[in-house]
Amino acid sequence: MSEIGISMPNVTVRGPEAPRNLESLDPVFQVEDLSVFYGDYEAVRNVDMTIGNREITAMIGPSGCGKSTVLRCFNRMNDLIPGARAAGKITYHGEDLYGDHVDPIEVRRRIGMVFQKPNPFPKSIYDNIAYGPRVNGMKGKMDDLVEQALTQAALWDEVKDKLKQNALSLSGGQQQRLCIARAIAVKPEVILMDEPCSALDPIATTKIEDLMQELSRDYTIVIVTHNMQQAARVSDRTAFFTAEVDEAGVRHGRLVEFDETSRIFTNPADKRTEDYITGRFG
Amino acid sequence: MSAQHRATATGTGRSLARSRPRYGEQAIKVVLMLAALVSVATTVGIVFALAEPTIEFFSEVSLAQFFGSTEWGPLFKPAHFGVWPIIVATLEITLIAIIVAVPLGLAAAIYLSEYASRRVRKIFKPVLEVLAGVPTVVFGFFALTLVTPLLQDVFPWLGLEPKNALSAGLLVGVMIIPIIASMSEDAMAAVPNGLREGSFALGASKMLTSVRVVVPAAFSGIVAAIILAISRAAGETMIVAIAAGFKSVFTLDPTQEMSTMAAFIAQAGSGDASTGSIAYKTIFAVGSLLFLMTFAMNWFSARMVQKYREVYD
Repeated sequence: MSEIGISMPNVTVRGPEAPRNLESLDPVFQVEDLSVFYGDYEAVRNVDMTIGNREITAMIGPSGCGKSTVLRCFNRMNDLIPGARAAGKITYHGEDLYGDHVDPIEVRRRIGMVFQKPNPFPKSIYDNIAYGPRVNGMKGKMDDLVEQALTQAALWDEVKDKLKQNALSLSGGQQQRLCIARAIAVKPEVILMDEPCSALDPIATTKIEDLMQELSRDYTIVIVTHNMQQAARVSDRTAFFTAEVDEAGVRHGRLVEFDETSRIFTNPADKRTEDYITGRFG
Repeated sequence: MSAQHRATATGTGRSLARSRPRYGEQAIKVVLMLAALVSVATTVGIVFALAEPTIEFFSEVSLAQFFGSTEWGPLFKPAHFGVWPIIVATLEITLIAIIVAVPLGLAAAIYLSEYASRRVRKIFKPVLEVLAGVPTVVFGFFALTLVTPLLQDVFPWLGLEPKNALSAGLLVGVMIIPIIASMSEDAMAAVPNGLREGSFALGASKMLTSVRVVVPAAFSGIVAAIILAISRAAGETMIVAIAAGFKSVFTLDPTQEMSTMAAFIAQAGSGDASTGSIAYKTIFAVGSLLFLMTFAMNWFSARMVQKYREVYD
């Protein structure tokens, strides 16, 4: 390792099979000077970034760098944590996401989320998918909705004969695809994924990654991942976060660099990004 | 082989064999087992203590008399042994109590587990548990001297008797609210937060998340709480003895005075029924029946829980 000097990791950057015009970014979210507080503690400081429509944006960085915290601002999931508060601005299609008129429940219906640990409800496979449409009072034939969501999540063939079975009887990878299907079923515009593969084996991970590529045709996807190769493989743009200690000795998450994934992984502008992706720290 | 063993043992200088016996561990195991035995032995003892006089009772009074008549008066002359009036009274008061306690207890549990801030919960939960420790005789007098007169004033058309099943049932209900609230709250608090987040992330409100995700996931714990509460209500003696009285009438009308099974046992047991008399044996027969009823209900609900619970890992 040492005689090569700086070696870029051997990764495949999302290839030409999904050609995109990344220059003309059609913004879904615009983050301006976002800081997130838990009580008095400023967990993330001064983040600026833009999430493009029907792109996959990856957020990478070491533990405690605030990437999940930022992700959970996009659907106002942080509202549920007592004492959590966001300063700065996030707009969603130009509308202030934290405006007084905004209903967080409506936000979450439009912006779905998949979590680190698969969290299917202890109900049947069918009821897991039907849950979202039901609580949102969606019209239409439920059976069709369920089939459609499961098909989109590439799970239909595996579960079509056991829809009444408890979702927890599925394997971890199937459970996570079920959770993706559950998110799709309410027809969101964006899907947020918080380390969706970290509890899965490599085969299940590959399936989820393929699925993300598939879904990015219709949905805007933001994914937090610990796995740099994953970010490189699936994403169009990558945001690299790190944790920095300020003058007072307090750690804050910071956004270091945000760029097209190919550039982040081949020609990063910041030394810290380069150190991280070459494995010098983190 | 053995030479090798020895070599290894001498190699480090210390054998891996236990260096000294651990008597303490053995002693603790025995003490713990004895503690477990006491409660099992008590239950078995109760069954045997109930069985003998009960069998003797049924050698004198036929099952047909016991279950085939609706006239109850074992302490009168001539004595009547139709058990239905006190069964009906027991079930009726239990039902009133459950109608009061399940909605209030569950609502309190949902509030404490899903809505209340940590600070509120820290104050409310112990208060609730203290309420569970109020002596039932207090509830009994509360029913007799406050609730019944109040109901008579507000709803004179009810024609409430001074002692009646309604006030007794209401206060038995109040007595079991803390059991349902506290145990259900424990069960709901044990539901993994990931399930709530999953629901919120789909655009569900707090109420929907509580009712459609948390409560079903905590179902087995909630049913266990309700069952325990029903058992406590069915066996409650002091409140019904004070507020519902001892009259044995075969009626469903909750405005009337009526004796429950537990109230009869207390009445006959505190009276002058001499050992070996038929009145004395009746106490055990009624006790056995109450025991069987609660046991059957527990068993039935255990089966229900097995069937319908939603297991999360």
